[in-house]
Amino acid sequence: MDPQLTEVSQQFERFKAAFVRKDFNSCGDLLSQLKVLLTKFTSLPPLFENTPNAAQELTIARDIYEHAVVLSVKTEDQDAFERDFFQLKPYYVDARNRIPPSQQENLILGLNLLRLLVQNRIAEFHTELELLSSATLENPCIKHAVELEQSFMEGAYNRVLSARQTAPDETYVYFMDLLAKTIRDEIAGCSEKAYDYVSITDARLMLLFSSDQELLAYVQEEHPEWEVKDGLVVFQKAKETAPCKEIPSLQLINQTLSYARELERIV
Amino acid sequence: MTQDIEMKDNQTPTQSIIVSATTSTLQHLKEIAALIDSGSYTKEVRRIARAVRLTVGLRKKLTGSVISSFLDFALVPGSDAHTRLSSFVPKSNEHDMEVDTASSNSQATTKHLPAELEIYCYFLVLLFLIDQKKYNEAKVCSSASIARLKSVNRRTIDVIASRLYFYYSLSYEVTGNLAEIRGNLLALHHSATLRHDELGQETLLNLLLRNYLHYNLYDQAEKLRSKAPRFEAHSNQQFCRYLFYLGKIRTIQLEYTDAKESLLQAARKAPIAALGFRIQCNKWAIIVRLLLGEIPERSIFTQKGMEKALKPYFDLTNAVRIGDLELFRNVQERFAKTFSEDRTHNLIVRLRHNVIRTGLRNISISYSRISLTDVAQKLRLNSANPVADAESIVAKAIRDGAIDATIDHKNGCMVSKETGDIYSTNEPQTAFNSRIAFCLNMHNEAVRALRFPPNTHKEKESDEKRREKKQQEEELAKYMAEEDDDDF
Repeated sequence: MDPQLTEVSQQFERFKAAFVRKDFNSCGDLLSQLKVLLTKFTSLPPLFENTPNAAQELTIARDIYEHAVVLSVKTEDQDAFERDFFQLKPYYVDARNRIPPSQQENLILGLNLLRLLVQNRIAEFHTELELLSSATLENPCIKHAVELEQSFMEGAYNRVLSARQTAPDETYVYFMDLLAKTIRDEIAGCSEKAYDYVSITDARLMLLFSSDQELLAYVQEEHPEWEVKDGLVVFQKAKETAPCKEIPSLQLINQTLSYARELERIV
Repeated sequence: MTQDIEMKDNQTPTQSIIVSATTSTLQHLKEIAALIDSGSYTKEVRRIARAVRLTVGLRKKLTGSVISSFLDFALVPGSDAHTRLSSFVPKSNEHDMEVDTASSNSQATTKHLPAELEIYCYFLVLLFLIDQKKYNEAKVCSSASIARLKSVNRRTIDVIASRLYFYYSLSYEVTGNLAEIRGNLLALHHSATLRHDELGQETLLNLLLRNYLHYNLYDQAEKLRSKAPRFEAHSNQQFCRYLFYLGKIRTIQLEYTDAKESLLQAARKAPIAALGFRIQCNKWAIIVRLLLGEIPERSIFTQKGMEKALKPYFDLTNAVRIGDLELFRNVQERFAKTFSEDRTHNLIVRLRHNVIRTGLRNISISYSRISLTDVAQKLRLNSANPVADAESIVAKAIRDGAIDATIDHKNGCMVSKETGDIYSTNEPQTAFNSRIAFCLNMHNEAVRALRFPPNTHKEKESDEKRREKKQQEEELAKYMAEEDDDDF
């Protein structure tokens, strides 16, 4: 066996051991060393040279990056997630016909979709979605993320929240929690437009707080303009578009002059 | 021109009908060769462009024997290019050989061979192979031509080269290995940019976009598109294609307003004959407009020759217009095959949200007060907790301004507000302004787009020019139609 490959796999074993111990600091160190070692393999993207050990090297490299992605979720580092995911992606797309598909692939792709959703990068979410085949779309991990996006767009927030229980993998919970926070802000924004007032109990239930204190603290911090009195939360309605009393004369003059100028050019 | 016709007329009566057809095609090809010769000599791109157009006109008449005789005529027998190209063309039978020898005797053999003519021979053979559906041979031939092109750097070749690029990509697409040539296309685009070959850049950029979109690589396509140099379009077909690809990319990235503009423009600019292309543009445009919350007019679906192809989209529009989720699901299932073939399935999934919105708007207009249970029932929300879902959906619709209402949480109902008098606000003024601005802009664009032929003062040529232009337009339309038949 190639000495470099042996070195990498030994290092990787140590990484996995630390990973199981949940010793994330040493995991990070080992990972950076591994990444440096990987640069010596010419069979990896973007070169894809046909070396004798190409398949093994590709498989182990993919395995390392998959672990890196999961590690970044555990350490709750979204930037690292993005970096590692982009390094991993060529293994799924370009190396598809060189090595057998990975068991983890759908899980990781689903995680990435969820990340894009949490970061509200919907355009990228859909771009990624286009790359998936219809068979992949049926996979529970992917389907989970896709349905979340739909419910989110419709405004069916309950469904998004209840999806936390049906998360296909424990790594998903981190993003689901982030999503729950985004949703609370969304609900607050919608409620303030849709209701004149609600009782404190209803507001607490709607905004998913377990106690009235938490609700009051949230109101004070995020929406100081809301009024709390007589057991009710009264939303200050944004000023309705008042019928215009004044004629915006300057603007009108400008517009009319520009019409005149243009018309003159035509005639 | 007039002389050419006379010459042909003189020949026809003397020979039998079949032979005359062959000879006249051959004769035409020889004229084209002469045109290329002079074009290469005088460095006039115009002549080469005309030669290419004339060839497309002859496309239907090309046969193996005509091409092999032409190759004998144009290329030096025994030369590298001659042997290579002849191997693609089936051997002609004896009868044609006679004609062949007769005609090649009459012509003096060309000693000096311009590169343009050689490349043109590649083009001709490639055209023939593709029409004969010999795609694997076409692949080999086009790859050889691309290799040859790399060593030539003359502006007069650009026109033929851009066609070669197109067929190069087409032959790989039909055989299903488009991904293989991506690197090559990128390299070609690179060198076209360095050589200021704008037509080549334009064609290659479109081919690359097509290549990426074929594999749904929208991200890469957009990155390339936004970084590639842009300039005024040289060819209308290429510009239409570019707009179409641009529209697709923008649709995927949720920039619906821009997407709609490009798609509609592409559909409008495409020649009438390019039916397949226009249908495709219309399909995408319909979806984008639905996603924007607009309902396309009925006349779009009844355009000539499109009714059948657009039928699934018509039903879809209907479901969205009524706001009936059940009907929408129904249409989605019934035409699932069409939608996945058109690769619009994911977009249609996005539409669900719009269906709910329209349904909600209808409810809010019809009722001044309605319970959330009824809303959930009317929208046919099939979920575990329909009332709570309905409440949050309504709340979001209110926030997004889709409906004007409030929710009474205690009694669990939605109360619609009286519609205010719109004429008491500035709304009409702004609407008027935006429409006027649109019209004025359209006029200015039209004026700017007017082109004047450079030599209008030369009275002598004008007659011929006009005829040529007319012919050119017809050919263009026909050509585009044929290409699109290949595409879709």
